[in-house]
Amino acid sequence: MHDSVQELIKTRRFLKERLQRDYSTLRGYEAERSNVRQLLQRTAEMGESNSLLLIGPRGAGKTTLINAVLTDLMENKSFVDNTLIVHLDGNLHTDDRIALKSITVQMRLENAADGKVFGSFAENLAFLLQCLKAGDKKSKSVVFVLEEFDLFCTHHNQTLLYNLFDVSQSAQAPICVLGVTCRLDVIELLEKRVKSRFSHRQVFLFPSARKFEEYVALFQQLMSIPSSKELQAAADRVDSLQLLKSEAFTFQRNHFDGVEYNFDKKHMENWNKQIVKLSKSAAAQKTLQMLYDFDISEAFLKTFIFRLVAQLKPEAPHITAEQLTALAAQYECDDKVELLCGLSVLELCLIIAIKHHSSIYDRDPFNFEIIFARFSKFAKVSSTMQGVERAVVLKAFEHLRIIELIMPLSSSGMGKLQKEFEMHKLALTYGQIQHAVQRYQALPTEVAQWAQSSLI
Amino acid sequence: TRLAEGTPRRSIQLSNIVEQRIFKDNEIISTPKRSRSKLTDEAADADYVPKMSSQKTPTRPRRMSTTGTAKQPTATKLKESAPLTPSQKLKKIRAGELSPSLEQRHQLVDERHKSQLQLAREQLHVSVVPKSLPCREKEFDNIYSFLEGKIQDQCGGCMYVSGVPGTGKTATVTGVIRTLQRLVAQDELPAFDFLEINGMRLTEPRQAYVQIYKQLTGKTVSWEHAHTLLEKRFTTAAPRRVTTVLLVDELDILCNRRQDVVYNLLDWPTKSAARLVVVTIANTMDLPERLLMGKVTSRLGLTRLTFQPYTHKQLQEIVTARLAGSEAFKGEAVQLVARKVAAVSGDARRALDICRRATEIADSVESQPGGAAKCVTMLHVQQALAEMIASAKVQAIKNCSRLEQIFLQAVAAEVTRTGVEETTFMGVYTQIETIAAFMGVALPAPGRALHLCSKLGAERLIISEHSRHDLYQKILLNVSADDIHYALRVEGN
Repeated sequence: MHDSVQELIKTRRFLKERLQRDYSTLRGYEAERSNVRQLLQRTAEMGESNSLLLIGPRGAGKTTLINAVLTDLMENKSFVDNTLIVHLDGNLHTDDRIALKSITVQMRLENAADGKVFGSFAENLAFLLQCLKAGDKKSKSVVFVLEEFDLFCTHHNQTLLYNLFDVSQSAQAPICVLGVTCRLDVIELLEKRVKSRFSHRQVFLFPSARKFEEYVALFQQLMSIPSSKELQAAADRVDSLQLLKSEAFTFQRNHFDGVEYNFDKKHMENWNKQIVKLSKSAAAQKTLQMLYDFDISEAFLKTFIFRLVAQLKPEAPHITAEQLTALAAQYECDDKVELLCGLSVLELCLIIAIKHHSSIYDRDPFNFEIIFARFSKFAKVSSTMQGVERAVVLKAFEHLRIIELIMPLSSSGMGKLQKEFEMHKLALTYGQIQHAVQRYQALPTEVAQWAQSSLI
Repeated sequence: TRLAEGTPRRSIQLSNIVEQRIFKDNEIISTPKRSRSKLTDEAADADYVPKMSSQKTPTRPRRMSTTGTAKQPTATKLKESAPLTPSQKLKKIRAGELSPSLEQRHQLVDERHKSQLQLAREQLHVSVVPKSLPCREKEFDNIYSFLEGKIQDQCGGCMYVSGVPGTGKTATVTGVIRTLQRLVAQDELPAFDFLEINGMRLTEPRQAYVQIYKQLTGKTVSWEHAHTLLEKRFTTAAPRRVTTVLLVDELDILCNRRQDVVYNLLDWPTKSAARLVVVTIANTMDLPERLLMGKVTSRLGLTRLTFQPYTHKQLQEIVTARLAGSEAFKGEAVQLVARKVAAVSGDARRALDICRRATEIADSVESQPGGAAKCVTMLHVQQALAEMIASAKVQAIKNCSRLEQIFLQAVAAEVTRTGVEETTFMGVYTQIETIAAFMGVALPAPGRALHLCSKLGAERLIISEHSRHDLYQKILLNVSADDIHYALRVEGN
């Protein structure tokens, strides 16, 4: 008994870690992977200069592809000895000045000492260009990885991009510029002289699970426990990575390491059988189909599975189809309806008044006075809302505004108008309000009836 | 010298020892300030002594230079032996004494065992500039006669070269300069200096002065200083001054609102003392009239030259000249590349890149069993062209999830309904309701539809506002409605 609990905890930890920290395992994309790999290999071994753009929707595995390719290449010594890798990120390196300092540090140039770069921006640029110009086929290849490439295009004059591409197209040190972005039209952002220098190699990464069967197979693969042989192979790969201890890799320090886990063979078989059975069941298929219809990226499926795996407890040691359905229902539900159900009856009355106003005047904007008048008409004849003061209603109105169920028309002209007269618009569909009225706990019948008809 | 060498080092060691001893004995009493110094001391234990000695070194020659200059050599020798501190390095970089370098390879590139395709690929790289550029003979002669005349006459002047990117402007000008320099070496032409700046390699226009001065002397100074020094050099007459040829690439970047830099660069040639010939390169033909002030345009003069985009015949000639008798390419393959590129931009870089990609494709086919391709055929080129010119929007739409596709259809339907390009999320959501009901799909809640919207917006299949505008955000379709129909219909059947 105790043993099985241990085994379960181990399984849960294993699955969680594999979902979160396995940075370098890529599924599918054979052609794209070999394309990038060959390009980097030629840069390293033959001293060719190249440039490439990796484009694909978010969550398609662009960074994982680069990590996987670099991991592959790091295994052969000639690549490690002959290349420097410079990582840049458009979110971190928000202008050329910061990016240039980072390049100088990562290339360990003469004017950098222990991560501190000396000299002004202009000097740094001039020195970097001189260094690259002084280099030739005898010097090390430099691989620039520019993540969020589209943000580099917004820099002033695109100086950094021009210079990097220019070096890659002239007889200087061999470099490879590898841009990674999710924008399909990123080339249109480049200035025309930068565009001319870019080699127009684009590798598109579209999610590999194009068919539903593949998606289910991916689900199975992510959930199941691999055999000890596979674990050992993965562990060897990670070990070789950590042996190198290269500074270019930050992900290897905290990489998923399968060697820590060795599963009982019986438990493993049981578990995998259970998973296969689960994924064949109709309820699970329906849930997965729902997820697949919404988002086919692997990242989305992984977050879903993580939440699923986190529900594993000794009391409930197996994943059931009911759990899957319950979790999927959480994904499907409307957060705004939840929010509406948390409002007080007064606030809900205001929302109903707004809905009536909107449906009568075809979504015209409204202010507090309009809504208050409409609410007062109702409150007069209602037995439960008679004693409500104006100030209390105003407070409720402001509360609606703060949780952004209603939005001001213009954010700029605020100071001019008094708050009772400021015009607002409704940020809800009528369907959502209707749902909320149906789902609201202990709603007075009067309000429910008022919500049905706009006669008052 | 022994005294001078000995005293500081001994004092350092002494202080070093004293500090260490004190802090090891009474750790508890030590004030925060002292304990901090001890911390740094322990952290950099090994580096501590050499660092101090190297810090002392610069003071030593200064002190000695007051007494006598005879001891200078020993001082410089000392400096070389000790590792430089970063600020000393910076000083050397600024003085131009430290040559910039990159790390060297552990093993050299293997030059032997190269297949025909590999050789062709190397020859096709844009960085390999041929000795004589094909199809630019007329422009070459034009620039050559201009520069040679100016150098022979020993007067100054300006020239403006324009053309779209990739038409061989910079390559031709540097080719002319190289020819002239060869003539100088053979004593057939008076000597001249050649300076070269590029607007895009500068962080701001005024850095042009710094770069010019650096190429003259090797020193890096501030731009104000460089400006006065250059002003002095070009405005005061000096006998035995040689002609200076200045090549200014990407001229439009050097234009700022005041246009003082461009004005100065073009004003110096008018001075009789300067003997400066300026060749400016930019992309647009009408840049002087469009962007520059009247006085600057007037100084730029009317000696202008325009590089036309390459025609398909010229592109074909360029590529075949690079291949130089190699059998790696089929004739019609080169022709296809030339015709496709000439129809779009006439950019030589583009044609060469596509050819290079075609060799890679042929290479990968060769490595596979069964397909033995020794040379690049039409099929390889077609694949390369499809990779590098075709847009992937249809592919992207096909690879969207079902609801994303419905969203795109809804946007297109809303555009058709209203007749306006710009739609709001609310209108699109009503269309989604309709389409979902029609297709029998579960309707996504507005929150989830917003998620879809931002996801498509990130890919730029649609252009959307920030999702803080919620139901009222405006949505534009970034692909044509026909693309959507094509992608979804063709797949369906």
